[in-house]
Amino acid sequence: MDFTFNAADEAFREEIRAWLRANLPADIAAKARHQFHLPWTDMARWVKLLNADGKGWAVPNWTVAQGGPGWTLMQQYIFEEVLIEEDAPQIDVGVAKMIGPIVNNFGSSEQIERFLGPWYRGETKFSQGFSEPNAGSDLAAISTTAVRVPGLSKDGGDDYIINGRKIWTSGGHFADWFYCLVKTDMAAKQRGISLIMVPAKAPGVTVRPIIDISEEHNLNELFFDDVRTSAANLIGEENKGWTYAKSLLENERARSGEAPRNRRYLQVLKAIARDRTRCGVPLIEDPAFAARIAQLESDLNSLEWMTLRALTAKAGGDLALPLGSILKVRGSELLQKITEMHIEALGDHGHYVHNYDDVPGSVPGPDYAPGLLTDFMYRRATTIYGGSNEIQRTIIARQFLGL
Amino acid sequence: MEFGLSEEQQLLQDSIARFVEREYSFDKRQTLVTAGGAFSETNWATFAEMGWLMLGLPEDAGGLGGTPVDTAIVMEQFGKALVVEPYLPVAVLAARVLIDAGADNRLIAAIGTGEARPVVAHGEVGAFGTLGWVETRAARSGNGWRLSGAKSLVLAAPFATHFIVSARTSGEPRDAAGISLFLVAPDAAGLTRQDARLADSSRASELTLDSCEAQLIGSEGAGLAIIETAFAHAAIALCAEAVGAMDKALWTTRDYLQTRQQFGVAIGTFQSLQHRMADMLIELEMARSQVFRALAHLDAEPAVRDQAISSMKVQIGRSIKFTGYQAVQLHGGIGMTEEYLIGHHFKRLHMIDNALGTVGTHLGRMANQYSAQNRRAA
Repeated sequence: MDFTFNAADEAFREEIRAWLRANLPADIAAKARHQFHLPWTDMARWVKLLNADGKGWAVPNWTVAQGGPGWTLMQQYIFEEVLIEEDAPQIDVGVAKMIGPIVNNFGSSEQIERFLGPWYRGETKFSQGFSEPNAGSDLAAISTTAVRVPGLSKDGGDDYIINGRKIWTSGGHFADWFYCLVKTDMAAKQRGISLIMVPAKAPGVTVRPIIDISEEHNLNELFFDDVRTSAANLIGEENKGWTYAKSLLENERARSGEAPRNRRYLQVLKAIARDRTRCGVPLIEDPAFAARIAQLESDLNSLEWMTLRALTAKAGGDLALPLGSILKVRGSELLQKITEMHIEALGDHGHYVHNYDDVPGSVPGPDYAPGLLTDFMYRRATTIYGGSNEIQRTIIARQFLGL
Repeated sequence: MEFGLSEEQQLLQDSIARFVEREYSFDKRQTLVTAGGAFSETNWATFAEMGWLMLGLPEDAGGLGGTPVDTAIVMEQFGKALVVEPYLPVAVLAARVLIDAGADNRLIAAIGTGEARPVVAHGEVGAFGTLGWVETRAARSGNGWRLSGAKSLVLAAPFATHFIVSARTSGEPRDAAGISLFLVAPDAAGLTRQDARLADSSRASELTLDSCEAQLIGSEGAGLAIIETAFAHAAIALCAEAVGAMDKALWTTRDYLQTRQQFGVAIGTFQSLQHRMADMLIELEMARSQVFRALAHLDAEPAVRDQAISSMKVQIGRSIKFTGYQAVQLHGGIGMTEEYLIGHHFKRLHMIDNALGTVGTHLGRMANQYSAQNRRAA
């Protein structure tokens, strides 16, 4: 055993920090600091900046050959930690960690160039079309159909005609493409699902905004009514989409605890508790209040070291645990507890709604208050999205404990 | 003992249930809190006509002389529908302060008729829920007084006809003695109001007082006991509202579990979710029990009363963090949307947990009494 970070990792951390301090645009940092969802115009600038000169920092998990930096899992984790410590936005996870790896692994070289190339330069936006109104936790129950028909263009290729509804599509109102799970074999269940790119501006596509309880417009519902997409937009083989989607969910296991975000949020909580006073005494000097922060810090330490175990586990599986599920459950619940305390520590000012487009100072409260209530509300979804915590516990019980 | 409603109380409950069913559908409420500015003069007039605003007022001020139990019945029904008009700030909190301070009966009577909407401006950011901490100062000026300081989270301030402002006429911010109560007109010179929308879409303001003209009500320096009694009444009303809001959230969630299908069955057939709902019911009924208990102790000596209020608020907070929060969780994604009611119950419940003292504040108040008792015994 060796419980130390090596010197190269520490040097790496300083390199990332120095670059961010020199290059992170101030206006983007100002928005990211308050945890509001960034509009795509800002995210596009950020992706372009991180990938400039072939650095590939917007795709930290990609190999050098794929255009990434070829970092180790530990370096990727350190990168994520420094991003949030420096008030930088997170990367565009949907492409970097979801559809990007699928296209890289299962798409053709033509598809890699056509889909991932423009995104890498901040020119196109992808959003996910997986969940449906009647297929949430039971994702394999999707009913959106894709039927292969002769195409209309002169090149002789086939088209797919898509019909159905998708829901909880983050950033769908900015999208150029939706990467969708669709039924291509109506008789089979999981085996009949394919992964296909659907052009967001095609005739028959309707995007309906869903305002969430944080009052932000990030989510959308999609309606596909005889939408045509070229068969050249099918990723990999027909009816293999479920296998592709599952493979990448497993790649995400170490990240699912959001340990860096939890660490940052705990720092924010301490900063609020130093600033706010009760009867002349800073909250952080109130033993009862401080003890509750300490409990959260202990929870966080557990999560971080569980994450480090996951990061350093050998690829062959020397750590035989349902890591993703364990980290998802604990990390999501901790985010909720810390954001609850953000609001409590704000005291009277914790009740006031600050929206993204409110002019600074127009709502009473300290300058760090905007975004905290929004984020508290939004984080109620952490135990629901990405496989609800109920599903994660079932995975632990059934797939690992053999119950 | 008897926990059931009297015939009159049953009629009261039914009349409010009919009102909210008619006027407070989810869609109507959504329109009210957005386009309607979170206040309906029509609804307020109905509250007056039905006698709900004069329910807790003494008969010599034109009131019905009702009890805090009656007020709790109103608030529970309002909680089920997330009524946003400031019944608690005006008809409970401000009315109680004015009655106990011996204010002009004409003003108290005007609350009952709906003509006056006084609200209390007591809390300050630095008090963090401690009722005895007042930094705002009052200075004599001719025959009257002038106030300087700042008040936070003044509920319903944008709709107020009068402000009841607490300020120090002597002593230091933490002293129990020296807090006095004043009436301030909304258009008084030196008064600045910064409005805010709250998480449940109700409205409140921060007030800044800069040598603002004010009129003393009650005895100089003796305001804290009045404030403490009024906030005890308000805390019970707030917790009764929470019980109503949780009750509605619980049964809405139960219905959802019976209809939502995943993996080929209603998700309510999953034992883990059944147990979750069972715990939600247990938490709700523990909360309701503590509201009864606090009502039973409302007229006890202040130390006993305040232990009961704090005990209730601690239980309510715990129940909200389970029942209120799980209502969203069990709805999944739909629970996260503005267009569905459960998220709005969650928001109101979260606010109630953080209003009139958090769980931490009230545990601290209970604990401080233990140490005070121990010191006296030693």
